[in-house]
Amino acid sequence: MEMDPGTFDKQTLKQFLGLGVNRVSLGVQSFNEDFLKACGRSHGLQDVYEALDIITGLNVSNWSLDLISSLPHQTLEHWEECLREAIGLSPAHVSVYDLQIEEGTKFGVWYKPGHHPLPDEDKSASFYRLASSLLREAGYEHYEISNYAKPGFQCRHNMVYWKNQPYYGFGLGATSYFNGKRFSRPRKLKGYADFVELCINQSSDNFSANEEYLSFYSNTVESVEDRVCDTIMLSLRLASGLNLNELSKNFGHELRVHICKSFLPFINSGHAVAVDSKFKTVPPDTFSTALSEQSASKVLKDVIFIRLTDPDGFLLSNEIISSLFTDLPIK
Amino acid sequence: MDILARIQAASITAPCLAPQHHHKHLQQLCFPMSTGHHFSCFYMHQNHFPVAMPGHPCRIPSGSIRCQSGAVEAPEMQDVKFSKSMLSFDMGKDRLSKVPASQIRNFSIIAHIDHGKSTLADKLLQVTGTVSDREMKEQFLDNMDLERERGITIKLQAARMRYVAKDGEPYCLNLIDTPGHVDFSYEVSRSLAACEGALLVVDASQGVEAQTLANVYLALENNLEIIPVLNKIDLPGADPERVRNEIEEIVGLDCSEAIFCSAKEGIGIQEILESIVAKVPPPKDTSMNPLRALIFDSYYDPYRGVIVYFRVVDGSIKIHDKIQFMASGKEYEVDELGVLSPGQMQVNELFAGEVGYLAASIRSVADARVGDTITSSANKAGMALSGYQEAVPMVFCGLFPVDADQFGELREALEKLQLNDAALKYEPESSSAMGFGFRCGFLGLLHMEIVQERLEREYGLNLITTAPSVVYRVQCADNTVVECSNPCELPEPGKRVWIEEPFVNIEMITPKEYIGTLMELAQERRGEFKEMKYITESRASVIYILPLAEMVGDFFDQLKSRSKGYASMEYSLSGYRKSDLVRLDILINGEPMDPLAAIVHKDKAFAVGRALTQKLKELIPRQMFKIPIQVTIGTRVIASESISAMRKDVLAKCYGGDISRKKKLLKKQAEGKKRMKSVGRVEVPQDAFMAVLRLEKEVV
Repeated sequence: MEMDPGTFDKQTLKQFLGLGVNRVSLGVQSFNEDFLKACGRSHGLQDVYEALDIITGLNVSNWSLDLISSLPHQTLEHWEECLREAIGLSPAHVSVYDLQIEEGTKFGVWYKPGHHPLPDEDKSASFYRLASSLLREAGYEHYEISNYAKPGFQCRHNMVYWKNQPYYGFGLGATSYFNGKRFSRPRKLKGYADFVELCINQSSDNFSANEEYLSFYSNTVESVEDRVCDTIMLSLRLASGLNLNELSKNFGHELRVHICKSFLPFINSGHAVAVDSKFKTVPPDTFSTALSEQSASKVLKDVIFIRLTDPDGFLLSNEIISSLFTDLPIK
Repeated sequence: MDILARIQAASITAPCLAPQHHHKHLQQLCFPMSTGHHFSCFYMHQNHFPVAMPGHPCRIPSGSIRCQSGAVEAPEMQDVKFSKSMLSFDMGKDRLSKVPASQIRNFSIIAHIDHGKSTLADKLLQVTGTVSDREMKEQFLDNMDLERERGITIKLQAARMRYVAKDGEPYCLNLIDTPGHVDFSYEVSRSLAACEGALLVVDASQGVEAQTLANVYLALENNLEIIPVLNKIDLPGADPERVRNEIEEIVGLDCSEAIFCSAKEGIGIQEILESIVAKVPPPKDTSMNPLRALIFDSYYDPYRGVIVYFRVVDGSIKIHDKIQFMASGKEYEVDELGVLSPGQMQVNELFAGEVGYLAASIRSVADARVGDTITSSANKAGMALSGYQEAVPMVFCGLFPVDADQFGELREALEKLQLNDAALKYEPESSSAMGFGFRCGFLGLLHMEIVQERLEREYGLNLITTAPSVVYRVQCADNTVVECSNPCELPEPGKRVWIEEPFVNIEMITPKEYIGTLMELAQERRGEFKEMKYITESRASVIYILPLAEMVGDFFDQLKSRSKGYASMEYSLSGYRKSDLVRLDILINGEPMDPLAAIVHKDKAFAVGRALTQKLKELIPRQMFKIPIQVTIGTRVIASESISAMRKDVLAKCYGGDISRKKKLLKKQAEGKKRMKSVGRVEVPQDAFMAVLRLEKEVV
């Protein structure tokens, strides 16, 4: 359950736990009063520590902590302090998000990415590198671009998204993904009520008809291209990377060879790594030779995963993923 | 209303209100309804009167005219038959009446840009009732969108008017429009060759300008009777007496009978018409000779084939005649014959001295070239008409489609444009960075820009153009001389002995206060001072010799901006001279960028090199590795910069609800990559190419 400091007391959390909540993700964001203010949070440092007391006081061991890097005026020293404080609290899971300036938000009006007082691209990259090295040193596995976990504590909920598995979402604007279709529920209460009513009228006990009906609301019918893109984009967020066996199973062997070729420059430049069935890294030379040979398909069968390197590949993941998209043979 | 009537109504009202390119909607609207008919009039080429004219029978679909009236039998030319159901009014029909050659006057108007030529032409059309006030579009003769925007005339067009003079006789006046810009002197010469007289229009406050002079000399070469007209006499700054003296002094023309006029206010128009009748000699009546007609313009109509505009010099031409184009040797049968008034109006026959158009299902663009002579297959003329010179392109550049798939379309578009534009030359070119395209030759920079814009607007092409280049002559070590208009093809330094470049004689006419700044400009552009003289107390003519390459950049723009718009210029090729030139190559990550190579004078190489590397550094986005940018002369690096590697490009969050949006974002980024040109491993945005090419135009 996502919780923000200052929004719950011990009693509330206790009741939630009683209802079956087994994990708490705490939106701390920063351990510095000034930065908390700067990122527009309603809570203060005091609230953070109180919330942490409540969580530990109730013996919740599976809890996670969110941090934001690249805040205005943030320096590498500030950031290191913040990370060390977080590590000292020993959460089971840490999410580290780089501040994303979205257009149309207050931040978008105040700040321009890469320009003072926001850190420039180089500095922002060094924040990311620092988080990766400090957290890994402290025993956290960097299992997703922005997520770190102690062994066994990866976020099972989010893994569903990254593995591109089906899920249902309920509530205003919630998205679902099933039968290869992405579906978004109405965002407004009135629309939502109409939608629910229609679902009931349509068929209260016939699930497949209901689903058919839901598909009416589906704004994206996933094409093969979409599904390939989803698979690439999502799996490369994970440290485990893209599973080539699954790729050929779902989309054919040719695509596997094609994508391996697209990866070659990134493997050569050290932004991606090929991994064989014994989880051993395939050296770039071997990979490259395998691709250039007639028998490419045979050797490539040995390469089971291709993953981005941490932190170099992760840091440039958009560039790499969009290059792979550009190369895709499908229209 | 039946379908036909509806279309007819639409053609009369809608296009009058809509800008020309909106006409396309009408085409789409009409086409499905027009089964069994050829509404070719709706498809009239955009540049040639696509706008329907109320009261103009020419709007009636030509196909249906022939359908309904059968063969046009009547002996007299006025017998063009129209279906009554289509149009009840046929005002202006009498201007199709045949008049004897002695009552025909063919003339053009020569003027400097902005001296009011178009306004005067409009006024003549109105006063003679050729175009009614109501249907008068401002500046009727400037038909292309581009011309309208730039306020200049590019393609010449013609208009036949009927004027009953004070002597009570009806006269047939053919106005043949001429382009005003220096780049188009070839087209001016074509239209002048089809005339016996010319109105010389000079702004009564501005006085004689450089182009006025150039065009007057062309008219004198063609033996035309010149009628001086001082325009805009209604303006407060007008000083017609002074300008009259100026013309007499500079041009050496008798101006005692110069007409004072204000085209805008309608002052002096009658005098001009009378003067044309009285002074412009009638064409010789050589109707009995074998047919010879001079093509002064043509355009491609997708339904009727090439439409040819011509002046009958000898003999006569009839509908269904078998004709031959003397240069190409091709024979055709005339399907449609008519006059321009100013819309196309069909007639049966045209005689010596008359101006008209014909369609003969001419499919090949090369068969009816501008400048060719039309003769009769049955009774061939002994000799083709002379006086037309082949246009020589002076400026070259590479045109590449942004989307490689558009190469075929670009070729077709160039073929079609070339039909209208004998001066346009092109040949295929390919480059590693840009793919397949064409090396094109133009008369000058304006001509180049116009062709580019027409390709983009009328043919929907998205183009990259390389920096303009002139034709260099390279003396090679093996004693051969190589002509080179493409920097990439310049022989290696070891193989060259020297390079010669074309120089032009440039005459600038300017108010005296700008003499200094214009001399500075010419000096900066490697100009060599030749002569300066005061043409009046306050205005001077300054003559320089300077390399054409220095002129094809922004020289004209600079001249205008530094003189606050008051100076004018005119140039002519003066010949080739040796220059100390080098080729600059631009290397990105060690890969030469062929289309950006440029030939520059040695003294400018460093400054240009620095400017180019800086611009590229600014515009090429960071990539996954460091990219060196270098400018070299041969193997020597004269300027360099580098773009540091990209550090971070990552989406922090991507959860269930984000997936569709984030995928869109990444796909957009992927689309952006597709639009970039790969130079080796480096992706260079189109914009960077464009910007560097623009910069080259300015600094090279």
